[in-house]
Amino acid sequence: MSAGDIKKEHYTWKSPLAVWGAKGRNYEVPTIRVEDPRSIWDKNTSYKVPLNKVGRLKYIHKWANHGSRLWQRRRWWPTRRTLLLMRGQYNRKTLKAQKIIVDKRPIYWVIALLALAAAPLYLPSSLQNTLLTAGAIFGIFAAINVCWTLIIGTASIFSLASYAVVGVAAFCTSWLSINLGFPWWTLPIIGMAVGFIFGGIIALPAMRLDGFYYALLTLGLNELCRVYVVTSKEFGSASGGLYGASTYINSDWPPLTQSIVSYYGAFALLLASLFLFRFVDGKQLGRILKMAPEKREAFAEAIGVNYKKARVTVFLISSVALGFIGGFYTAQYRGVAYAIFSFDTILLGLAMLTIGGIGRAEGAVAGTLIVVFLNNVLISLGPIRHIMIGILMLLVVLFLNNGIFGMKKQFWAWRDKKKGEWRSSRTEKGGEALPEEATETDDKDFLYHRRFDMMQRDYLKTLVCDEVVEEHKNKPLGQHSEALERLLLYFRRVPQIDKYAIKRDGQSKIFKIVAFSGIRGTSPRLVEDKEYETMEDAYHGVFLRRIYDLLES
Amino acid sequence: MDIGFIFINAIVVACIYGLIAIAVSITWSSLGLLNLGYGFIFSFAGYGAYLMSRMLSDNTVVVLLAGVLTGALGGIIICLLVFIPLHDKPNYTLRGMVGTLAISLMGSQALLWWFGPKNKALPEIFGYWKISIGGTVLTSDKIGIVVCSIIMLIFVVRWMKSSRRGLEIRAMMMNPHAASIVGIGIRRTGFYVMAITGALAGLSSVLLSQTYYISPFSGITPLIKGVSIALCGGLGSVQGAVIAAIILGITEALTSRLLGGQYVLITQFLVIITILIIKPRGIAGILDKAREQ
Repeated sequence: MSAGDIKKEHYTWKSPLAVWGAKGRNYEVPTIRVEDPRSIWDKNTSYKVPLNKVGRLKYIHKWANHGSRLWQRRRWWPTRRTLLLMRGQYNRKTLKAQKIIVDKRPIYWVIALLALAAAPLYLPSSLQNTLLTAGAIFGIFAAINVCWTLIIGTASIFSLASYAVVGVAAFCTSWLSINLGFPWWTLPIIGMAVGFIFGGIIALPAMRLDGFYYALLTLGLNELCRVYVVTSKEFGSASGGLYGASTYINSDWPPLTQSIVSYYGAFALLLASLFLFRFVDGKQLGRILKMAPEKREAFAEAIGVNYKKARVTVFLISSVALGFIGGFYTAQYRGVAYAIFSFDTILLGLAMLTIGGIGRAEGAVAGTLIVVFLNNVLISLGPIRHIMIGILMLLVVLFLNNGIFGMKKQFWAWRDKKKGEWRSSRTEKGGEALPEEATETDDKDFLYHRRFDMMQRDYLKTLVCDEVVEEHKNKPLGQHSEALERLLLYFRRVPQIDKYAIKRDGQSKIFKIVAFSGIRGTSPRLVEDKEYETMEDAYHGVFLRRIYDLLES
Repeated sequence: MDIGFIFINAIVVACIYGLIAIAVSITWSSLGLLNLGYGFIFSFAGYGAYLMSRMLSDNTVVVLLAGVLTGALGGIIICLLVFIPLHDKPNYTLRGMVGTLAISLMGSQALLWWFGPKNKALPEIFGYWKISIGGTVLTSDKIGIVVCSIIMLIFVVRWMKSSRRGLEIRAMMMNPHAASIVGIGIRRTGFYVMAITGALAGLSSVLLSQTYYISPFSGITPLIKGVSIALCGGLGSVQGAVIAAIILGITEALTSRLLGGQYVLITQFLVIITILIIKPRGIAGILDKAREQ
């Protein structure tokens, strides 16, 4: 809004003081009509942009404070950790003490695991056998995938040979059990040893190769295992695998009991792998590795983090766990099929990880649940179920940055982007604060003042005209027309810093304009060299300078 | 067994797998896409050639062309479904790889659904003659395979070296970001790359089908072999892939001769791992030439 845009209505102002015969030259002054300042306010504060619902703050439930039991919280024995990660705070308006749960994931984990544990009780009897079998497969595969997540996510070693480790351990233990008669309870332990040795061998190239080069190599290693097992005489068998090992499931039990026992066995395995994940990823090793994410290894190395050692350690721990799972697999299914080394197994495993979200235990478990449901429960669909898994995998990859469990973060990022876009679209530039500044300033009065001041300056600019300047020149002091009066009131109210003042030079009749520094002890600075003969001239000089400043702002 | 015979077998196999290795290599270095969907393209092209030989004619050129064109079509499908939507998204390399695997899963199952699990055989497109050189008998299919793959390879290399499109692809290999700045369309180049590499896979499919049957999952082994050769030769280098294919072929020949057939993969992987431990970017991959990612 500039001064020239608005058509000014001219009229003659009569000083109300003229009736009493007050001294002065301006009883009647030509001036302009003043617009009601409230209309400016209404025009500026009216909302012209549609509000979009995305961009509202997220709701976080606030719980009541601990009260007097502040120091008697429940803790995980024998550590000092509290049950949940809480944060205490005071409400900024009511000053009431309250607490929020920072990390709600343990609650969801407990609910989900309790649901899984109770699931056999609620299965429909027609599908009971299928679902229990699928549940046992889910438990074992979820355990494998959680360990695999440790390798891919925590250690950032993109290995595709996890199923190969499981398979090698399973084949070795099956062979030992069949040919040397090892009892079932030794199999997981032997599997651990096998996993350690095999993991150690495939960890060697991991120290030199990075990222996808290693992934391709492990793909080849997997094929190597498959071909070796299929062609070798010891493991060769007509049944597509090696069967007949010792098992913990007694074949004298009724079939339902066998299914339930195998379900809970697999569930216990899943719990154990989750504990392993928690104690590797959440403790020292995991924290070291979180310091050294991919492409920032140099930084981590520079500050003294031995990330390579930590990676290999995590890899070996996971391999031992995978070997354990391989032994358990043998003990559960009496043996193992060649299919464990097939390309499709890796594909399905990778589908499980990507659908859930790579690098998270919850992603591995949820992805496994989805894929195992599609693959092992809907068996009657035939090849279509694999196509469904493929479509799901493709959709997840195309639209989600990091699987289902990355959706929340992706949505937040998207919402923040939209928030910024919309906020900037409805901001009018000028004396107002930028949106980022506005949200970060605590003193909202300051922002309010800036906004008001900008509106007022825009309004006052419309009042500046030749008549007003002429009127001030004729009579700087005393009663003025409304337009001039409003201008002068605004000028008088500016802060002390850089406020203009008139200085009389000693006893001489010379006036000069100075500006206050606003700092105690610092003398005013001289604004210009111009000298004024009279006090009135100097007043007008100051007025002109302020008009100039106003129009410049 | 005759060493010459084994040696020639190794070269034939190296020719076929070398084609896939070069396809993997070119895709990775120009598009940054780790395409593990060549297994599917391989089977897809095999079935395309099979249908063509059944329906139209079993002329050598027709069958070969059908395989090459269906392979190119498969490459374009992967380009449309994975590369175009994903190439500017965060975490592209991993998502791209998983996307091609998803296509591979879907495609193989669709082929299984459509054609059934029964294996299909291509006609013997190179005839039944044989010649003998220095006591070694060369059958027609072996000569045909070697000649065809060398012609295709020369064609691709010449095309990459001398054509405008090839120049664009090579620019993308050197620095994709700078290439896009000087006006080389990433998506358009993606089409060319995927089509030409798909054609390579398609050709290798027809050639390998002279020895093996076509089945929905017949592409997995060639894919893994090709990927291993590409890795050993250094991703992005055609010469490296050729050298690696020859080295691995010789390894295979020597192993079958000296140790026995079941140790072939073990010795091959020992060789690959040794090369990679000495030089992590493969035979030709000098560090600064390799694509960052």
